[in-house]
Amino acid sequence: MEIINYLVLSSIIFSIGLLGIFINRKNMITILMSIELMLLGVNINFVGFSSYLNDLSGQIFAMFILVVAAAEAAVGLAILTVFFKNKGTISVDKINQMKG
Amino acid sequence: MNLFFIIISTLLVISSTLVVLSKNTVHSVLFLIFSFFNAAIIFLISDAEFLAMTLIIVYVGAVAVLFLFVVMMININFTRLKEGFLKYLPFGILLSFIFLTELTFIFSDFVVDLKEPKINIESLFLSGNSNTKSLGLFMYTEYFIIFQMSAYVLLVAMIGAIVLAYNQNKKVKSQNIFYQNNVKKEDVIRLTDPNNKEK
Repeated sequence: MEIINYLVLSSIIFSIGLLGIFINRKNMITILMSIELMLLGVNINFVGFSSYLNDLSGQIFAMFILVVAAAEAAVGLAILTVFFKNKGTISVDKINQMKG
Repeated sequence: MNLFFIIISTLLVISSTLVVLSKNTVHSVLFLIFSFFNAAIIFLISDAEFLAMTLIIVYVGAVAVLFLFVVMMININFTRLKEGFLKYLPFGILLSFIFLTELTFIFSDFVVDLKEPKINIESLFLSGNSNTKSLGLFMYTEYFIIFQMSAYVLLVAMIGAIVLAYNQNKKVKSQNIFYQNNVKKEDVIRLTDPNNKEK
């Protein structure tokens, strides 16, 4: 398999995740899912290079990305539920309590 | 094999676009699961069997189900979630387009220098190790510190999620164990004289 296939696929998925973060301003759950998509694109890149370069290090690194993605999803969804309990909405525009 | 890769990656791109664009959040989660399955097939094509199975178990089995639980737990009006959609759409498309163009410029004259691989997959495979076994051989020895650090990341994430989601209800009465164990005899028992009528 050519490396350019993996590069194009992973960059397209990463860009879709980036687009999702920008257009879903009212829905924090979809933003978290877009972050998962971006991490998936990075993982595809790692695995593609691992297969192309015949090196196992890429797959090991992709394992650690999976760990970080799972931890991030757990903490993000916990923050989301607490935010919804306090504010009654999941819009990102409403996160202005600290006037930052 | 190449055609198969292209079909699967087209499905992956379409489903991940639908994750971002679909109106109902439950549909987004289901499309996310579908795109994870397609990514697992791409991992299988790239001879990363263990990662493919981990992707299905961890993402589809845990993370996507977590997302589904949260979506079903939160009672919101889903039609109002897309109100600012068209306002931010040109900006988002512009930014993604700029990003993709930059990446295309990088990839157009991209040369991979084929060095000697640090952990050679082929020689590991030829000496009779499966993908899972060779991952384990290096993750528990050479990358042991990072492995333990990722375990700590998971522990801290678990504690953080519990602390955030745990709500202490003040109205429900519960026992204070420290206070209960420290009660002395003099605090709770009052001796009275039965012959004394005044008391």
